[in-house]
Amino acid sequence: MAALHPRRRRSDLRAAIPFLLPGFLGLATFLILPLFASLLLSFSNWQVIGQTRFVGLANYVNLFTHDPIFWGVFRTTLLYTVEYLALNLVISLAMAVWIGSLSWGRQLFRLVFFLPTFTPLIGISLVWLLMLTPGGIVDSVFATLGAPVPNLITSPAYALQVVVIVSLWSHFGYNMLLFGAALETIPSAYLDAAAIDGARPWQRFWRIKLPLISPSLFFGTVLTTISSLQVFDQVYALTRGGPGSSTTTLGYAIYSQGFVTYRLGYASAIAWVLFSVIMALTALQLRLQRRWVHYDI
Amino acid sequence: MKRILGTLCLVALLCGRTAAAEQVHLTWFMWSGTEPEVVAWKHVAELVTRRYPDITVEFQTTSFPDYWTKLPTLAATHRLPDIVSLQSLRSPGFADLMVSLDERIKADKFDIDAFDPSIVKGLSRNGKQFALPYDFGPWVIYYNRDMFEKAGVPLPQPGWTEADFMRDAKALTKEGTFGLAVSEPDAFMVFARSKGAHYLDAKGQLDLNNAGMKNAFAQYVALVSKDKVAPVLPASGVQSSSVANGRFTSGNAAMYVDGPWQVLNIRKKVNFAVGMAPVPVREAGSITLSAGSGFGISTTSAHKDEAWMAIQVMTGPEAEQYLAEAGRAFAARKDFQKYWYDVAAAGVVGAREALPAALKTAEPYVTTPNWAVVASLFEQYAPLAFGGTEEPGKVLDTIQSLANQ
Repeated sequence: MAALHPRRRRSDLRAAIPFLLPGFLGLATFLILPLFASLLLSFSNWQVIGQTRFVGLANYVNLFTHDPIFWGVFRTTLLYTVEYLALNLVISLAMAVWIGSLSWGRQLFRLVFFLPTFTPLIGISLVWLLMLTPGGIVDSVFATLGAPVPNLITSPAYALQVVVIVSLWSHFGYNMLLFGAALETIPSAYLDAAAIDGARPWQRFWRIKLPLISPSLFFGTVLTTISSLQVFDQVYALTRGGPGSSTTTLGYAIYSQGFVTYRLGYASAIAWVLFSVIMALTALQLRLQRRWVHYDI
Repeated sequence: MKRILGTLCLVALLCGRTAAAEQVHLTWFMWSGTEPEVVAWKHVAELVTRRYPDITVEFQTTSFPDYWTKLPTLAATHRLPDIVSLQSLRSPGFADLMVSLDERIKADKFDIDAFDPSIVKGLSRNGKQFALPYDFGPWVIYYNRDMFEKAGVPLPQPGWTEADFMRDAKALTKEGTFGLAVSEPDAFMVFARSKGAHYLDAKGQLDLNNAGMKNAFAQYVALVSKDKVAPVLPASGVQSSSVANGRFTSGNAAMYVDGPWQVLNIRKKVNFAVGMAPVPVREAGSITLSAGSGFGISTTSAHKDEAWMAIQVMTGPEAEQYLAEAGRAFAARKDFQKYWYDVAAAGVVGAREALPAALKTAEPYVTTPNWAVVASLFEQYAPLAFGGTEEPGKVLDTIQSLANQ
């Protein structure tokens, strides 16, 4: 089978091309071409209106050395990603385990917690904004309880936490469903055998369930990291990056440089920085997975 | 019979063809905030077809902040509409997208003097006219007359002072309601000009962090943080002027600063009596700013002649009377402002006195080409000052440095 006749291989290729072409054309038009266009743009000073010039690495140099808010924005994005990722994994896993242990209503709870995932995030954010607005329902709840909590959305110390809470509320259901499905595939024989050997529930969770669902955990971690580095919708609807730059993430900075300031060359440079960060982190995760992900059941 | 029918069909077909060939379809991009506004603008588009049956104008719209994001995007992709709407504050940044109307005005002997000269100037750049105005107006104070009367506070009159204003604002601030709803940057710029501070230097460059401006901003912020006569502003996806409008129309704040173009939106929303007064007399007087908007022709339009015909109708007497009566526009045509007073502002207490008084001391709202950036930075950074986490002066330093980045 391995040593196919060369002519046969060529004729396969000829047959394969028409099948591959539509997919490749779509990929080229909507992914590869825009990707390179934005790379080229990041070396220009394109401002939509007016003359465009090639500026070499000036955008990147400006970004790393002169931009007064870039490093703050970078820090905010990483902080958001770490906090959101950790909380998301813990909550979704805990909920998946809890729902898995129920004797009735599993489907109902899964549906209920999954609902926000397919509700438009902008709509969700606007409802949260109404609740969190100064003098709104959240403020009056805190006031009734006598808690000395400032208005969350106007306080630079808490505004990012609002974005984290809204993101968690709307998105943990996806990972919950993913982990729940993985937990259900664990053969009960393993758990029964461990129980007979005297393993306590906590030990069974750490030593058997967790390693066995590690491929799903890995998949969830990678996807959640990527989506949280790109966070935009919640920030746009809830805080517009404010107060100050306390909730300005890289995703929002790209938008505001591109479509408020119209510095599209500069925005493209930030987009490429974000792209590189995501690539690097994903590569790192793929490398690290060898240590903790077990694909054999 | 068959032949007759056949001939008739052929004639009908041919007629249809010739008519279709002459039809010109124009696109027009305009901002709008509410359904009544959309209805008003669609009516204006219809007026063009009524006057020139072979021209149809397609109304395309989005919210005001999004308009200024979408316009450059359309320009970049060479999809600009034939007719572009322009606000005077944005003339320095966006006039490049539009053709100069000077030659057409001259050739057609178009009577540009029928419009208020300040807004004609506002829609020009470097001495060239880029749009015909439909409205203009000064920022004034809208007040909730019911709240004033209930609190036993005398209604604001032209010539009222800052001391009067503070006394009233304090008297109107009670459990759950506030004397005022602040917003920025426009309402703050009006406040600053009345204080004698200027946001531009002698060369017309942005100069937000001079001593006068810092002092004015500190006092503006104090209305929220120290005097507590106005609620805190969130940095949110909603423009602060819309938040202020919402607080006023829902009866949560007794006063707020906005322009006469808001009468339509306000009157449709409120269930209380609305009043209008010029801004109070502060150190430099009762100085306010005036701005307005109009329509021009995009550089890429394939139907510039038809677009010119269309914008004349859209800013013509019939449209101006309609828009003034509907309350969408304080007419830019001087002779049509009476309709705004008689119909749109008929129930608004003090409008007849407030607007002429405000116009007497109004300055055209001169801006810089990057005004959209300045406005967005204000929305994002001013809440730090209102919330008390950063010195107002330092906030202005930040906005100034980021705007000039």
